[in-house]
Amino acid sequence: MEATEKYNFDVVRWFTIMAVVYLVVGTLVGVIIASQLAWPVLNFDIAELTFGRLRPLHTNAVIFAFGGCALMGTAFYTVQRTCGVPLWSNKLAWFAFFLWNFIIISAVVTLPLGLTQGKEYAELEWPLDILIAIAWLAYSFNFAMTIARRKTSHIYVSNWFFLGMMVMITYLHVVNSMAIPVSLFKSYSIFSGVQDAMIQWWWGHNAVGYYLTAGFLGIMYYFVPKQANRPVFSYRLSVIHFWALMFGYVWLGAHHLQYTALPDWTGSLGAAVSLAMIIPSWGGAVNGMMTLSGAWDKLRTDYVLRFLVMSLAFYAMSTFEGPVMSSKTVNALSHYTDWGIGHVHSGALGWVVMVSAGALYHMIMKLWNTEMYSDKLVNLHFWMATIGAVIYIVAMWVSGIMQGLMWRDYDAFGTLSYTFAESVAAMHPYYVMRAVGGIIFWLGGAVMLYNMIMTIRMASATRGVGAPARA
Amino acid sequence: MSSLAEYFHTDWAALTLNDWIGLVTTVVVFILMIIAYVYVFHPANREHLEARKYIPLDDDGFETEDKR
Repeated sequence: MEATEKYNFDVVRWFTIMAVVYLVVGTLVGVIIASQLAWPVLNFDIAELTFGRLRPLHTNAVIFAFGGCALMGTAFYTVQRTCGVPLWSNKLAWFAFFLWNFIIISAVVTLPLGLTQGKEYAELEWPLDILIAIAWLAYSFNFAMTIARRKTSHIYVSNWFFLGMMVMITYLHVVNSMAIPVSLFKSYSIFSGVQDAMIQWWWGHNAVGYYLTAGFLGIMYYFVPKQANRPVFSYRLSVIHFWALMFGYVWLGAHHLQYTALPDWTGSLGAAVSLAMIIPSWGGAVNGMMTLSGAWDKLRTDYVLRFLVMSLAFYAMSTFEGPVMSSKTVNALSHYTDWGIGHVHSGALGWVVMVSAGALYHMIMKLWNTEMYSDKLVNLHFWMATIGAVIYIVAMWVSGIMQGLMWRDYDAFGTLSYTFAESVAAMHPYYVMRAVGGIIFWLGGAVMLYNMIMTIRMASATRGVGAPARA
Repeated sequence: MSSLAEYFHTDWAALTLNDWIGLVTTVVVFILMIIAYVYVFHPANREHLEARKYIPLDDDGFETEDKR
Protein backbone atom coordinates (compact mmCIF):
# COMPACT_ATOMS: atom_id res chain seq x y z
CA MET A 1 0.00 0.00 0.00
CA GLU A 2 1.24 3.52 -0.75
CA ALA A 3 2.67 5.36 2.25
CA THR A 4 0.52 8.36 1.56
CA GLU A 5 -2.55 6.14 1.50
CA LYS A 6 -1.92 4.35 4.76
CA TYR A 7 -0.15 6.84 7.01
CA ASN A 8 -0.16 10.62 7.11
CA PHE A 9 3.52 11.39 6.71
CA ASP A 10 3.40 14.69 4.79
CA VAL A 11 2.69 16.66 7.94
CA VAL A 12 5.45 14.71 9.73
CA ARG A 13 7.88 15.64 6.93
CA TRP A 14 7.12 19.32 7.40
CA PHE A 15 7.43 19.16 11.19
CA THR A 16 10.81 17.47 10.61
CA ILE A 17 12.02 20.15 8.20
CA MET A 18 10.86 23.01 10.43
CA ALA A 19 12.46 21.42 13.52
CA VAL A 20 15.87 21.51 11.85
CA VAL A 21 15.31 25.05 10.56
CA TYR A 22 14.31 26.27 14.03
CA LEU A 23 17.28 24.47 15.58
CA VAL A 24 19.60 26.60 13.48
CA VAL A 25 17.63 29.82 14.01
CA GLY A 26 17.14 29.33 17.75
CA THR A 27 20.77 28.49 18.48
CA LEU A 28 21.89 31.40 16.26
CA VAL A 29 19.95 33.78 18.52
CA GLY A 30 21.61 32.01 21.45
CA VAL A 31 25.04 32.64 19.94
CA ILE A 32 24.16 36.32 19.46
CA ILE A 33 23.07 36.85 23.06
CA ALA A 34 26.04 34.85 24.40
CA SER A 35 28.28 37.13 22.36
CA GLN A 36 26.46 40.21 23.71
CA LEU A 37 27.31 39.10 27.25
CA ALA A 38 30.98 38.74 26.28
CA TRP A 39 31.07 41.90 24.14
CA PRO A 40 28.25 44.26 25.19
CA VAL A 41 28.92 46.54 22.22
CA LEU A 42 27.01 43.96 20.15
CA ASN A 43 23.79 45.30 21.69
CA PHE A 44 24.25 48.23 19.26
CA ASP A 45 22.07 50.41 21.50
CA ILE A 46 19.06 49.14 19.57
CA ALA A 47 16.32 48.17 22.03
CA GLU A 48 14.94 45.37 19.83
CA LEU A 49 18.37 43.72 19.63
CA THR A 50 19.37 43.94 23.28
CA PHE A 51 19.96 40.89 25.44
CA GLY A 52 16.77 41.43 27.44
CA ARG A 53 14.61 41.29 24.29
CA LEU A 54 16.49 38.53 22.47
CA ARG A 55 16.95 36.15 25.41
CA PRO A 56 13.25 35.18 25.59
CA LEU A 57 13.27 34.91 21.79
CA HIS A 58 16.14 32.41 22.08
CA THR A 59 14.42 30.31 24.75
CA ASN A 60 11.08 30.35 22.93
CA ALA A 61 12.74 29.48 19.62
CA VAL A 62 14.69 26.50 20.92
CA ILE A 63 12.08 25.19 23.37
CA PHE A 64 8.82 25.76 21.55
CA ALA A 65 9.82 26.21 17.90
CA PHE A 66 12.54 23.54 17.63
CA GLY A 67 11.39 21.37 20.54
CA GLY A 68 7.70 21.69 19.65
CA CYS A 69 8.18 20.74 16.00
CA ALA A 70 10.47 17.85 16.99
CA LEU A 71 7.93 16.58 19.52
CA MET A 72 4.93 16.94 17.21
CA GLY A 73 6.74 15.36 14.27
CA THR A 74 8.09 12.41 16.24
CA ALA A 75 4.83 11.86 18.14
CA PHE A 76 2.77 11.80 14.94
CA TYR A 77 5.35 9.49 13.31
CA THR A 78 5.66 6.99 16.14
CA VAL A 79 1.98 6.84 17.08
CA GLN A 80 1.06 5.83 13.54
CA ARG A 81 3.78 3.20 13.33
CA THR A 82 3.24 1.67 16.77
CA CYS A 83 -0.55 1.67 16.46
CA GLY A 84 -0.70 0.59 12.81
CA VAL A 85 -3.24 3.26 11.85
CA PRO A 86 -3.08 6.68 10.19
CA LEU A 87 -3.68 9.84 12.19
CA TRP A 88 -7.24 10.28 13.42
CA SER A 89 -7.41 13.53 11.45
CA ASN A 90 -4.83 14.64 8.90
CA LYS A 91 -6.55 18.02 8.66
CA LEU A 92 -6.29 18.56 12.41
CA ALA A 93 -2.57 17.71 12.23
CA TRP A 94 -2.07 20.33 9.52
CA PHE A 95 -4.11 22.79 11.58
CA ALA A 96 -1.75 22.21 14.53
CA PHE A 97 1.26 22.62 12.22
CA PHE A 98 0.16 25.94 10.75
CA LEU A 99 -1.12 27.38 14.05
CA TRP A 100 2.08 26.36 15.88
CA ASN A 101 4.21 28.03 13.22
CA PHE A 102 2.01 31.14 13.25
CA ILE A 103 2.60 31.37 17.01
CA ILE A 104 6.36 31.05 16.45
CA ILE A 105 6.34 33.85 13.88
CA SER A 106 4.25 35.96 16.26
CA ALA A 107 6.85 35.38 18.97
CA VAL A 108 9.59 36.53 16.61
CA VAL A 109 7.66 39.80 16.16
CA THR A 110 6.34 40.47 19.66
CA LEU A 111 9.29 39.51 21.87
CA PRO A 112 11.86 41.88 20.28
CA LEU A 113 9.21 44.61 20.54
CA GLY A 114 9.19 44.05 24.29
CA LEU A 115 5.67 42.62 24.47
CA THR A 116 6.01 40.13 27.30
CA GLN A 117 4.27 38.82 30.39
CA GLY A 118 7.64 38.64 32.11
CA LYS A 119 7.13 35.01 33.12
CA GLU A 120 10.09 32.80 32.28
CA TYR A 121 9.42 30.30 29.46
CA ALA A 122 5.90 31.79 29.28
CA GLU A 123 6.68 35.28 28.00
CA LEU A 124 4.12 35.43 25.19
CA GLU A 125 1.13 37.69 25.81
CA TRP A 126 -2.37 36.44 26.44
CA PRO A 127 -3.73 36.24 22.84
CA LEU A 128 -0.82 33.99 21.91
CA ASP A 129 -1.27 31.97 25.09
CA ILE A 130 -4.81 31.16 23.96
CA LEU A 131 -3.55 30.14 20.52
CA ILE A 132 -0.90 27.92 22.15
CA ALA A 133 -3.62 26.15 24.12
CA ILE A 134 -5.69 25.62 20.95
CA ALA A 135 -2.73 24.28 18.92
CA TRP A 136 -1.60 22.06 21.78
CA LEU A 137 -5.08 20.62 22.28
CA ALA A 138 -5.44 19.99 18.54
CA TYR A 139 -2.14 18.08 18.61
CA SER A 140 -2.97 16.18 21.80
CA PHE A 141 -6.54 15.28 20.85
CA ASN A 142 -5.42 14.00 17.46
CA PHE A 143 -2.71 11.90 19.12
CA ALA A 144 -5.09 10.45 21.71
CA MET A 145 -7.77 9.65 19.12
CA THR A 146 -5.18 7.92 16.94
CA ILE A 147 -4.31 5.71 19.90
CA ALA A 148 -8.00 5.06 20.51
CA ARG A 149 -8.26 3.65 16.96
CA ARG A 150 -5.09 1.51 17.20
CA LYS A 151 -4.87 -2.01 15.80
CA THR A 152 -2.58 -3.21 18.58
CA SER A 153 -3.86 -4.31 21.99
CA HIS A 154 -1.10 -2.58 23.95
CA ILE A 155 -0.11 1.08 23.95
CA TYR A 156 3.69 1.16 23.56
CA VAL A 157 5.55 3.03 26.30
CA SER A 158 6.73 5.88 24.06
CA ASN A 159 3.09 6.80 23.53
CA TRP A 160 2.56 6.84 27.29
CA PHE A 161 5.34 9.37 27.68
CA PHE A 162 3.93 11.54 24.88
CA LEU A 163 0.44 11.34 26.41
CA GLY A 164 1.73 12.19 29.88
CA MET A 165 3.44 15.24 28.47
CA MET A 166 0.30 16.35 26.64
CA VAL A 167 -1.95 16.08 29.69
CA MET A 168 0.46 17.81 32.06
CA ILE A 169 1.54 20.62 29.70
CA THR A 170 -2.11 21.46 29.00
CA TYR A 171 -2.77 21.74 32.73
CA LEU A 172 0.44 23.66 33.45
CA HIS A 173 0.13 26.08 30.55
CA VAL A 174 -3.49 26.97 31.29
CA VAL A 175 -2.95 27.57 35.02
CA ASN A 176 0.33 29.45 34.63
CA SER A 177 -1.07 31.66 31.86
CA MET A 178 -4.18 32.77 33.77
CA ALA A 179 -4.10 36.55 33.53
CA ILE A 180 -6.29 39.60 33.38
CA PRO A 181 -5.89 41.40 30.03
CA VAL A 182 -5.82 45.19 30.18
CA SER A 183 -5.20 45.66 26.46
CA LEU A 184 -4.54 43.55 23.38
CA PHE A 185 -0.87 43.09 24.29
CA LYS A 186 -0.81 43.64 28.03
CA SER A 187 -2.05 41.48 30.86
CA TYR A 188 -1.32 40.83 34.51
CA SER A 189 -1.10 37.45 36.20
CA ILE A 190 -4.03 36.61 38.46
CA PHE A 191 -1.51 35.43 41.01
CA SER A 192 0.62 37.78 43.06
CA GLY A 193 3.61 37.78 45.35
CA VAL A 194 5.04 34.48 46.43
CA GLN A 195 2.06 32.57 44.99
CA ASP A 196 2.92 34.01 41.58
CA ALA A 197 6.54 32.91 42.07
CA MET A 198 5.44 29.42 43.08
CA ILE A 199 3.10 29.08 40.09
CA GLN A 200 5.86 30.41 37.82
CA TRP A 201 8.33 27.76 38.93
CA TRP A 202 5.70 25.05 39.18
CA TRP A 203 5.30 25.74 35.45
CA GLY A 204 8.99 26.47 34.80
CA HIS A 205 10.40 23.28 36.20
CA ASN A 206 7.58 21.14 34.91
CA ALA A 207 8.11 22.54 31.42
CA VAL A 208 11.53 20.94 31.86
CA GLY A 209 10.08 17.81 33.46
CA TYR A 210 7.16 17.03 31.22
CA TYR A 211 7.99 18.82 27.97
CA LEU A 212 11.79 18.59 27.74
CA THR A 213 12.09 15.30 29.61
CA ALA A 214 8.92 13.18 29.33
CA GLY A 215 8.27 14.16 25.72
CA PHE A 216 11.84 13.48 24.66
CA LEU A 217 11.85 10.22 26.62
CA GLY A 218 8.96 9.25 24.36
CA ILE A 219 11.35 9.89 21.48
CA MET A 220 14.09 7.90 23.20
CA TYR A 221 11.94 4.83 23.89
CA TYR A 222 11.00 4.52 20.24
CA PHE A 223 14.08 5.65 18.34
CA VAL A 224 16.87 4.03 20.41
CA PRO A 225 15.46 0.50 19.98
CA LYS A 226 14.54 1.25 16.37
CA GLN A 227 17.93 2.64 15.37
CA ALA A 228 19.80 -0.07 17.30
CA ASN A 229 17.41 -2.70 15.92
CA ARG A 230 17.18 -4.19 19.41
CA PRO A 231 14.32 -4.15 21.92
CA VAL A 232 14.58 -1.84 24.90
CA PHE A 233 16.61 -3.43 27.72
CA SER A 234 13.71 -3.73 30.19
CA TYR A 235 10.10 -2.92 29.41
CA ARG A 236 9.19 -3.26 33.09
CA LEU A 237 11.75 -0.63 34.00
CA SER A 238 10.27 1.68 31.37
CA VAL A 239 6.84 1.33 32.99
CA ILE A 240 8.23 2.26 36.42
CA HIS A 241 10.25 5.06 34.79
CA PHE A 242 7.04 6.49 33.36
CA TRP A 243 4.91 6.41 36.51
CA ALA A 244 7.70 7.56 38.83
CA LEU A 245 8.42 10.47 36.48
CA MET A 246 4.76 11.43 36.19
CA PHE A 247 4.12 11.31 39.94
CA GLY A 248 7.47 12.73 41.01
CA TYR A 249 8.28 15.64 38.73
CA VAL A 250 5.33 17.79 39.69
CA TRP A 251 6.77 18.43 43.16
CA LEU A 252 10.10 19.86 42.06
CA GLY A 253 9.35 23.49 41.17
CA ALA A 254 9.75 24.79 44.70
CA HIS A 255 13.48 24.04 44.66
CA HIS A 256 13.88 27.10 42.43
CA LEU A 257 12.79 29.27 45.35
CA GLN A 258 15.14 28.26 48.15
CA TYR A 259 15.92 31.11 50.57
CA THR A 260 13.01 33.27 49.39
CA ALA A 261 9.65 34.29 50.88
CA LEU A 262 8.34 30.81 50.06
CA PRO A 263 7.82 28.75 53.24
CA ASP A 264 11.02 26.90 54.07
CA TRP A 265 9.42 23.45 54.10
CA THR A 266 8.23 23.86 50.51
CA GLY A 267 11.75 24.26 49.17
CA SER A 268 12.97 21.40 51.34
CA LEU A 269 10.20 19.15 50.00
CA GLY A 270 11.07 20.17 46.44
CA ALA A 271 14.73 19.31 47.08
CA ALA A 272 13.90 15.98 48.74
CA VAL A 273 11.73 14.83 45.85
CA SER A 274 14.36 16.15 43.39
CA LEU A 275 16.95 13.89 45.00
CA ALA A 276 14.51 10.96 44.92
CA MET A 277 14.03 11.57 41.18
CA ILE A 278 17.61 10.50 40.52
CA ILE A 279 16.40 6.90 40.87
CA PRO A 280 13.82 6.82 38.02
CA SER A 281 15.91 9.16 35.87
CA TRP A 282 18.96 6.96 36.08
CA GLY A 283 16.77 3.88 35.70
CA GLY A 284 15.59 5.32 32.38
CA ALA A 285 19.08 6.34 31.26
CA VAL A 286 20.48 2.91 32.07
CA ASN A 287 17.51 1.30 30.35
CA GLY A 288 18.25 3.24 27.17
CA MET A 289 21.98 2.59 27.25
CA MET A 290 21.68 -1.09 28.11
CA THR A 291 19.52 -1.49 25.02
CA LEU A 292 22.88 -1.56 23.23
CA SER A 293 24.18 -4.28 25.53
CA GLY A 294 26.07 -6.73 23.38
CA ALA A 295 25.95 -4.44 20.37
CA TRP A 296 28.16 -1.54 21.33
CA ASP A 297 30.15 -2.08 18.15
CA LYS A 298 27.27 -0.46 16.27
CA LEU A 299 28.50 2.87 17.59
CA ARG A 300 31.61 2.59 15.42
CA THR A 301 29.63 2.84 12.22
CA ASP A 302 26.17 4.17 13.13
CA TYR A 303 26.57 7.91 13.62
CA VAL A 304 22.85 8.41 14.24
CA LEU A 305 23.00 5.95 17.11
CA ARG A 306 25.90 7.94 18.54
CA PHE A 307 23.59 10.94 18.94
CA LEU A 308 21.02 8.84 20.78
CA VAL A 309 23.50 7.21 23.16
CA MET A 310 25.38 10.44 23.87
CA SER A 311 22.03 12.07 24.68
CA LEU A 312 21.45 9.43 27.36
CA ALA A 313 24.85 10.16 28.90
CA PHE A 314 23.94 13.84 29.12
CA TYR A 315 20.48 12.92 30.45
CA ALA A 316 22.06 10.88 33.25
CA MET A 317 24.53 13.65 34.04
CA SER A 318 22.03 16.50 34.14
CA THR A 319 19.46 14.51 36.13
CA PHE A 320 22.11 13.95 38.77
CA GLU A 321 23.41 17.51 38.70
CA GLY A 322 19.94 19.07 39.02
CA PRO A 323 18.96 17.34 42.27
CA VAL A 324 22.36 18.10 43.77
CA MET A 325 21.91 21.78 42.88
CA SER A 326 18.44 21.76 44.44
CA SER A 327 19.73 20.74 47.87
CA LYS A 328 19.91 23.74 50.16
CA THR A 329 23.64 23.51 50.82
CA VAL A 330 24.64 23.48 47.17
CA ASN A 331 21.83 25.85 46.21
CA ALA A 332 23.24 28.49 48.55
CA LEU A 333 26.26 28.60 46.26
CA SER A 334 24.79 27.78 42.86
CA HIS A 335 21.56 29.79 42.73
CA TYR A 336 21.55 32.94 40.58
CA THR A 337 24.96 31.98 39.15
CA ASP A 338 26.01 30.73 35.71
CA TRP A 339 26.07 27.18 37.06
CA GLY A 340 22.30 27.19 36.51
CA ILE A 341 22.83 28.19 32.87
CA GLY A 342 25.41 25.40 32.51
CA HIS A 343 23.00 22.88 34.01
CA VAL A 344 20.15 23.91 31.74
CA HIS A 345 22.35 23.64 28.68
CA SER A 346 23.74 20.23 29.59
CA GLY A 347 20.11 19.13 29.49
CA ALA A 348 19.12 21.23 26.48
CA LEU A 349 22.15 20.79 24.22
CA GLY A 350 23.29 17.40 25.47
CA TRP A 351 19.97 15.66 26.04
CA VAL A 352 17.18 17.40 24.11
CA VAL A 353 19.03 18.39 20.94
CA MET A 354 21.11 15.20 20.76
CA VAL A 355 18.15 12.83 21.14
CA SER A 356 16.14 14.95 18.70
CA ALA A 357 18.95 14.99 16.15
CA GLY A 358 19.19 11.20 16.32
CA ALA A 359 15.42 10.86 15.86
CA LEU A 360 15.29 13.47 13.08
CA TYR A 361 18.11 11.83 11.10
CA HIS A 362 16.30 8.49 11.47
CA MET A 363 13.03 10.00 10.26
CA ILE A 364 14.62 11.88 7.36
CA MET A 365 15.96 8.60 5.98
CA LYS A 366 12.66 6.81 6.54
CA LEU A 367 10.33 9.56 5.37
CA TRP A 368 12.23 10.29 2.17
CA ASN A 369 13.25 6.65 1.76
CA THR A 370 16.90 7.31 1.24
CA GLU A 371 20.26 7.32 2.97
CA MET A 372 21.65 10.61 4.22
CA TYR A 373 23.40 12.72 1.59
CA SER A 374 26.60 12.44 3.63
CA ASP A 375 27.30 10.14 6.58
CA LYS A 376 30.54 12.02 7.16
CA LEU A 377 28.55 15.21 7.75
CA VAL A 378 26.38 13.36 10.28
CA ASN A 379 29.56 12.35 12.09
CA LEU A 380 30.92 15.90 11.80
CA HIS A 381 27.67 17.22 13.30
CA PHE A 382 27.93 14.71 16.15
CA TRP A 383 31.41 15.83 17.12
CA MET A 384 30.63 19.53 16.73
CA ALA A 385 27.55 19.14 18.91
CA THR A 386 29.43 17.15 21.54
CA ILE A 387 32.49 19.39 21.66
CA GLY A 388 30.42 22.59 21.50
CA ALA A 389 28.14 21.44 24.32
CA VAL A 390 31.05 20.39 26.54
CA ILE A 391 32.90 23.70 26.03
CA TYR A 392 29.69 25.59 26.83
CA ILE A 393 28.93 23.56 29.95
CA VAL A 394 32.46 23.60 31.36
CA ALA A 395 32.69 27.38 30.86
CA MET A 396 29.47 27.90 32.79
CA TRP A 397 30.45 25.49 35.56
CA VAL A 398 33.71 27.31 36.21
CA SER A 399 32.10 30.71 35.82
CA GLY A 400 29.15 29.83 38.06
CA ILE A 401 31.14 28.33 40.89
CA MET A 402 33.55 31.26 40.78
CA GLN A 403 30.62 33.70 40.89
CA GLY A 404 29.09 31.93 43.86
CA LEU A 405 32.37 31.89 45.75
CA MET A 406 33.12 35.56 45.00
CA TRP A 407 29.66 36.74 46.01
CA ARG A 408 29.77 35.16 49.42
CA ASP A 409 33.41 35.73 50.30
CA TYR A 410 33.97 38.21 53.11
CA ASP A 411 36.92 39.43 55.14
CA ALA A 412 37.68 39.41 58.87
CA PHE A 413 35.53 42.52 59.33
CA GLY A 414 32.48 40.90 57.72
CA THR A 415 32.80 43.05 54.60
CA LEU A 416 32.28 41.49 51.16
CA SER A 417 35.65 40.82 49.55
CA TYR A 418 34.50 41.58 46.01
CA THR A 419 32.15 44.09 44.45
CA PHE A 420 29.53 42.74 42.05
CA ALA A 421 31.33 44.54 39.19
CA GLU A 422 34.52 42.65 40.02
CA SER A 423 32.66 39.34 39.73
CA VAL A 424 31.27 40.44 36.35
CA ALA A 425 34.79 41.26 35.11
CA ALA A 426 36.02 37.86 36.29
CA MET A 427 33.36 36.16 34.17
CA HIS A 428 34.57 37.63 30.88
CA PRO A 429 36.94 34.82 29.76
CA TYR A 430 34.24 32.24 30.45
CA TYR A 431 31.62 34.23 28.55
CA VAL A 432 33.98 34.26 25.56
CA MET A 433 34.51 30.52 25.99
CA ARG A 434 30.73 29.97 26.18
CA ALA A 435 30.22 31.96 22.97
CA VAL A 436 32.86 29.82 21.23
CA GLY A 437 31.16 26.61 22.43
CA GLY A 438 27.82 27.97 21.24
CA ILE A 439 29.19 28.85 17.81
CA ILE A 440 30.59 25.33 17.38
CA PHE A 441 27.25 23.83 18.43
CA TRP A 442 25.35 26.17 16.08
CA LEU A 443 27.63 25.32 13.15
CA GLY A 444 26.89 21.64 13.82
CA GLY A 445 23.18 22.41 13.45
CA ALA A 446 23.90 24.28 10.20
CA VAL A 447 25.72 21.17 8.92
CA MET A 448 22.63 19.13 9.75
CA LEU A 449 20.37 21.57 7.89
CA TYR A 450 22.63 21.43 4.81
CA ASN A 451 22.76 17.63 4.97
CA MET A 452 18.97 17.44 5.30
CA ILE A 453 18.37 19.78 2.34
CA MET A 454 20.78 17.84 0.14
CA THR A 455 19.22 14.53 1.23
CA ILE A 456 15.72 15.69 0.34
CA ARG A 457 16.94 17.11 -2.99
CA MET A 458 18.71 13.84 -3.74
CA ALA A 459 15.60 11.82 -2.89
CA SER A 460 13.37 14.11 -4.95
CA ALA A 461 15.70 13.93 -7.93
CA THR A 462 15.66 10.12 -7.75
CA ARG A 463 11.86 9.99 -7.84
CA GLY A 464 11.26 12.94 -10.09
CA VAL A 465 10.81 16.53 -9.03
CA GLY A 466 8.41 17.00 -6.14
CA ALA A 467 7.22 13.41 -6.09
CA PRO A 468 6.48 12.13 -2.60
CA ALA A 469 7.78 8.87 -1.20
CA ARG A 470 5.86 5.83 -2.39
CA ALA A 471 5.40 2.44 -0.86
CA MET B 1 9.46 17.01 73.53
CA SER B 2 12.45 15.85 71.55
CA SER B 3 13.52 17.98 68.61
CA LEU B 4 12.55 15.16 66.24
CA ALA B 5 9.05 14.94 67.69
CA GLU B 6 8.82 18.70 67.47
CA TYR B 7 9.91 18.62 63.85
CA PHE B 8 7.21 16.15 62.92
CA HIS B 9 4.52 17.67 65.14
CA THR B 10 1.37 18.45 63.17
CA ASP B 11 -1.51 20.66 64.25
CA TRP B 12 -4.24 18.61 62.54
CA ALA B 13 -6.98 21.01 63.58
CA ALA B 14 -5.25 23.81 61.71
CA LEU B 15 -5.26 22.01 58.37
CA THR B 16 -7.32 23.83 55.73
CA LEU B 17 -9.33 22.19 52.95
CA ASN B 18 -6.40 22.71 50.58
CA ASP B 19 -4.07 21.06 53.08
CA TRP B 20 -6.35 18.02 53.33
CA ILE B 21 -6.69 17.73 49.53
CA GLY B 22 -2.90 17.85 49.23
CA LEU B 23 -2.40 15.35 52.04
CA VAL B 24 -4.92 12.86 50.67
CA THR B 25 -3.53 13.22 47.13
CA THR B 26 0.00 12.60 48.39
CA VAL B 27 -0.95 9.49 50.33
CA VAL B 28 -3.02 8.11 47.43
CA VAL B 29 -0.16 8.70 44.97
CA PHE B 30 2.26 7.03 47.37
CA ILE B 31 0.02 3.95 47.59
CA LEU B 32 -0.45 3.89 43.80
CA MET B 33 3.31 3.94 43.32
CA ILE B 34 3.68 0.96 45.64
CA ILE B 35 0.98 -0.88 43.67
CA ALA B 36 2.80 -0.03 40.42
CA TYR B 37 6.13 -1.31 41.74
CA VAL B 38 4.56 -4.57 43.01
CA TYR B 39 2.69 -5.14 39.75
CA VAL B 40 5.64 -4.42 37.48
CA PHE B 41 8.23 -6.42 39.38
CA HIS B 42 6.02 -9.41 40.29
CA PRO B 43 7.54 -12.45 38.52
CA ALA B 44 4.13 -13.49 37.21
CA ASN B 45 3.91 -10.29 35.14
CA ARG B 46 7.40 -10.43 33.70
CA GLU B 47 6.70 -12.36 30.52
CA HIS B 48 3.68 -10.47 29.24
CA LEU B 49 5.17 -7.06 30.09
CA GLU B 50 8.53 -7.78 28.48
CA ALA B 51 6.78 -9.09 25.36
CA ARG B 52 5.70 -5.48 24.67
CA LYS B 53 9.22 -4.30 24.05
CA TYR B 54 9.24 -5.74 20.54
CA ILE B 55 6.47 -3.40 19.34
CA PRO B 56 8.78 -0.82 17.70
CA LEU B 57 10.73 -3.58 15.98
CA ASP B 58 7.56 -5.30 14.85
CA ASP B 59 6.09 -2.11 13.46
CA ASP B 60 7.89 -2.92 10.23
CA GLY B 61 4.91 -5.22 9.79
CA PHE B 62 3.07 -1.98 9.19
CA GLU B 63 5.91 -0.85 6.88
CA THR B 64 4.87 1.84 4.48
CA GLU B 65 8.06 3.46 3.34
CA ASP B 66 9.06 3.17 -0.26
CA LYS B 67 10.94 -0.04 -0.97
CA ARG B 68 12.94 0.76 -4.01
